[in-house]
Amino acid sequence: MKGASFTERLLRNPPLLTFLLVALVWIVASLTLRGFGAYGHLRYILELSAVIGIVAAGQTLVILLGGIDLSVGAVITVTAILLPLISPDWDPTGLVGIALALLIAAAIGFMNGVGQAFLKVPAIIMTLAMATFLQGLLILVAGGSAVSVTNKAVILLGSARPAGVPAGIILWIVVSFVVLLLIHRLPIGARLLALGANPLAARLSGVDVNRNSLIGYTLSGFFAGLAGMLLLGMNRQGYVGIGDPYLMTSIAAVVLGGTSILGGRGTYAGTIPGAILLVTTTALITVVNASAGWRSVMFGSLILALLLVSGREARR
Amino acid sequence: MDQATPLIEARAVSKAFFGNPVLKGVGIALRPGRVHALLGENGAGKSTLINLLSGALQPDDGEILIDGKPVARLTPASARAAGIAVVQQELSLAAELSIAENIGLGAAPRRFGMIDYGALSRRAAEICGLVGITEPLDLPVGELSLGRRQMVEIAKALFRQPRILILDEPTSSLSAHEVAILSGLVRTLAARGIAILYISHRLNEVQSLCSHVTVLKDGVVTADQSLAEVDAEGLVRLMVGRDPGEVFPPRGTPSGGEELIDIEGFSAGMVHDVSLRARAGEIVGIGGLVGQGQEDFMLGLYGAIDASARRAMIGGRPGPFAHVRAANAAGLAYVPADRKKEGLVLPHSIASNLLLPSLGTLMKHGMRDRAAEAGLVARLAERLTIKGDTSRAVQALSGGNQQKVALAKWLPLVPRVLLLNDPTRGVDVGTKREIYHMLRSFADEGKLILLISSDTPELVHLCDRVVVFREGAVAAELPREAISEEAIVGAAMGLGAKDRAA
Amino acid sequence: MSMAEGMGSLYFAIQRRRNRGLVGLYLVVGAFLVVYAFMFPGLLTIGGFSKFSQNWFPLALVTMAQALLMLNGGISLAIGPLVSLGAVVAALTMEGPAGVLGGLVAVVIVGLGIGAITGAIVAYMRLPAIIVTLAGSFIITGIALILLPRPGGFVPDWLSQLLAGHTPVAFGILILVVIGWKLFLATPLGTGIYAVGDNPVGAFRSGVPVERVRIVSFALSGLLAALAGLFVAAQTGSGDPVIGNPFTLNSIAGAVLGGVGFLGGKGAMRGAICGSLLLSVMINVMFFIGFPPVAQYVAQGVIIVGAVAIPEFARRWRKA
Repeated sequence: MKGASFTERLLRNPPLLTFLLVALVWIVASLTLRGFGAYGHLRYILELSAVIGIVAAGQTLVILLGGIDLSVGAVITVTAILLPLISPDWDPTGLVGIALALLIAAAIGFMNGVGQAFLKVPAIIMTLAMATFLQGLLILVAGGSAVSVTNKAVILLGSARPAGVPAGIILWIVVSFVVLLLIHRLPIGARLLALGANPLAARLSGVDVNRNSLIGYTLSGFFAGLAGMLLLGMNRQGYVGIGDPYLMTSIAAVVLGGTSILGGRGTYAGTIPGAILLVTTTALITVVNASAGWRSVMFGSLILALLLVSGREARR
Repeated sequence: MDQATPLIEARAVSKAFFGNPVLKGVGIALRPGRVHALLGENGAGKSTLINLLSGALQPDDGEILIDGKPVARLTPASARAAGIAVVQQELSLAAELSIAENIGLGAAPRRFGMIDYGALSRRAAEICGLVGITEPLDLPVGELSLGRRQMVEIAKALFRQPRILILDEPTSSLSAHEVAILSGLVRTLAARGIAILYISHRLNEVQSLCSHVTVLKDGVVTADQSLAEVDAEGLVRLMVGRDPGEVFPPRGTPSGGEELIDIEGFSAGMVHDVSLRARAGEIVGIGGLVGQGQEDFMLGLYGAIDASARRAMIGGRPGPFAHVRAANAAGLAYVPADRKKEGLVLPHSIASNLLLPSLGTLMKHGMRDRAAEAGLVARLAERLTIKGDTSRAVQALSGGNQQKVALAKWLPLVPRVLLLNDPTRGVDVGTKREIYHMLRSFADEGKLILLISSDTPELVHLCDRVVVFREGAVAAELPREAISEEAIVGAAMGLGAKDRAA
Repeated sequence: MSMAEGMGSLYFAIQRRRNRGLVGLYLVVGAFLVVYAFMFPGLLTIGGFSKFSQNWFPLALVTMAQALLMLNGGISLAIGPLVSLGAVVAALTMEGPAGVLGGLVAVVIVGLGIGAITGAIVAYMRLPAIIVTLAGSFIITGIALILLPRPGGFVPDWLSQLLAGHTPVAFGILILVVIGWKLFLATPLGTGIYAVGDNPVGAFRSGVPVERVRIVSFALSGLLAALAGLFVAAQTGSGDPVIGNPFTLNSIAGAVLGGVGFLGGKGAMRGAICGSLLLSVMINVMFFIGFPPVAQYVAQGVIIVGAVAIPEFARRWRKA
């Protein structure tokens, strides 16, 4: 009896379920695959998860409010290429360059929000158009070649390991803390959720629809920029297309964490294990040698399957 | 008197939605060549009955007979095949398609799998001649006025050569000329042996056109008789007349509080040029037939749709408000009629719904104060007798309790003006009683309550004053001593001094 | 007055009236073409016209594929991947024993089949087309990559010469496609597309088979996109699993430029075809002026947002 209620509660708690799934996969893989369970390898998985996790933070907020951001990949690329170019030489710390790059990323997100809230362009179209626009603009501005990073702070972020913990993971922990606070302890979190579940009722209850969507999309741009910066630090190079893989994965991480793709239900607490699960699965797929094609099919099927499940709930 | 077999007949049909009975053992028989009127107040069950006759809904109990033979399960398709055509209030036209294509939609003549435009043109032209549509047949329907579209909708129904024609308020947006054409048409069709069910709120039309009447009240037939035996006042009495019972609280004496609404020449949506003054401590009822602008009026006051006014002081601030937050700041709160779509965030918990409007007021160290929030939710649940765990999804609650949540969530903001849009629709009698007493105590506390209601007794027995809307304007303003069901229904239907039935 | 006209004239009267609503667009497209012909007189030779129409052809097909769905109240983000898949299937089958005819049949089946499955999910599960096709775009891209991980396959040279050579065959095929569309639109199912897009409840009450209309429009849309892929494969002589990607946004841009609305039932196919022509001319002009190809991306982004946002602004302006 008690056991049944425990399973029931577990099934109703997607974040916990995803966490347990990660633990299970890790244990099984460590026991069966040589080298998987090594501290260095697991740390590496977490380091890779940090980039996805940070992009997916913004994606979570936007999906919660009933939208979607298809421009995060492009924003990562923009940040990774622009940051080395705009970091001024007179600033030895590199912090000015970082601030500028994050400002640009947030501004892109803000424009997505404007298009969506004020010009009434559907979110998918607006962010897709933005992504296309940015890709073209970037090649025009920066040319097609890769850019190496010299910014001290960014390099430090990508390589420092205080007490053996990669700085990227620390950054992810900070981001998680802030986003969880935002969703669960600040009014805006509840407003975003209400907006995503029923925009009309939220508006009639005094929630400012435009203002809250603007904040959501701006934060999504900001977090994508942050992820781009981390990726640049880890890669030491920015190039066109560097952010492309993070579009699908950010959406998949959100959905894997139990957040409804249709908005209004979910939490970042699920996205965190979702990101880890995704990187772990990708690592395993690489081991069994699955191609890019199969990965794409898997992602698509996953989203479709989750859509069928969450759509069913929404209609009830 | 009517010897012929009814073309369609419903025998003792019942229908309930979510446990609320809407029709209780209703019978109706449509005979060839007879124009049959169906009357009843809003919510009396007319639409449900039409849906049963057209196959859109299945009865829970009772049976439907076509040509005297019981039909096991009437579907929209089999209803169409049996020659039943319905002209609904919501039009079924596609704006981009031409008049002819709309008329033939779903029933167009074909040749080699294609629409036979020649035959369509011929037959559509014939019917348009009958209905008085003189516009070219190739004109897109989107370019027609609402009244003309209504005529196209009627032509569309006739195109299917029905044996049974159901007209649901066909004249609501027609000009006098069009009404005259339609009346002539209805007589012609009846003379050809078609059975017609005519639903209208315009009693003069009904009296001049129909020969038989069925009156519904609260899902029960109160009259099924020849129209010759009853006059207009008699019809109104048949439609209303109910025992108010014990559900309503006693009214106090009007206190003459602060003036909270003072508007002049107020327009919003379909509402034009409305003036109103109302004071704290009053319950002002807003009556009228469905869709006469009551809701637009409230949404306009609330800043949810664009509004304009020559002069507007609302809640002590100059209006009209540009958005909802400004209205909230002026002490207004709005409880929508469709609580599932507009009032509540259904999948979220009772607690989150209760907290939504007051988010950001209970803060500690810049963050939401969970303890204070829990206390507030508990107090609200207790005051409104919402029982059980407040972390349940609000969609798990009954209609009445959902309504209480939709109302209770505003109380922490201490609103001074409550805008309530049909708060007791689909609510059981016990909860209705609770809500009425709650509203009266709010008024006694010095709030102003504006109450849209489709339930006439509610307006009569609860409100201090009733404003009746008709066609987007105030048709009558009834002070307390003049409020009666007859006066409200009469004004709503355009009887009496302000009869403007076009 | 139309009642006095003879039988069958109703059809043409409706067509004339639809054209009248689009006169502004026709004038703009005409002006662009005149300017273009003035800048590049080569357009007026057979070879130049052939090349021009070959650039336009796939764009026209995908715009039709997108407009078909938008008119019906949907949208597809899987148009580009379907073009890729069509190209891959064509390049893989035509080099095999099936030959060109077998390849054509395979492309048609793939396009219709994937479209119909997508349509069935949208219609019966009542899920938003935009997200279903987003998921579908990953799956279709994946299938194309699995079939052909890197550009390859082979399209017979004579087919490339026929479709993308120095004769305006592509233009001829486009005319056939348009005629086919007109015939379809004159069927009850075709008129149903407009009715379902504009007023699904009303269409259902009028006896229009709403679900079937949705599935058929998705299937036809898939067919058009896959055929565009076949043409692209013929143009390049081989298959490329990601060659279609830009077409998703291009198709939306073309349809929106042609006045097709996002909310369904608004606009007309002929407008969308004009929109694709306009877009094609713009892309050509940018190419000839010396803009790098990537500038197209910038332009597309601006065009789409502009085409949606400007009418919205105009509406508010009028109200204010």
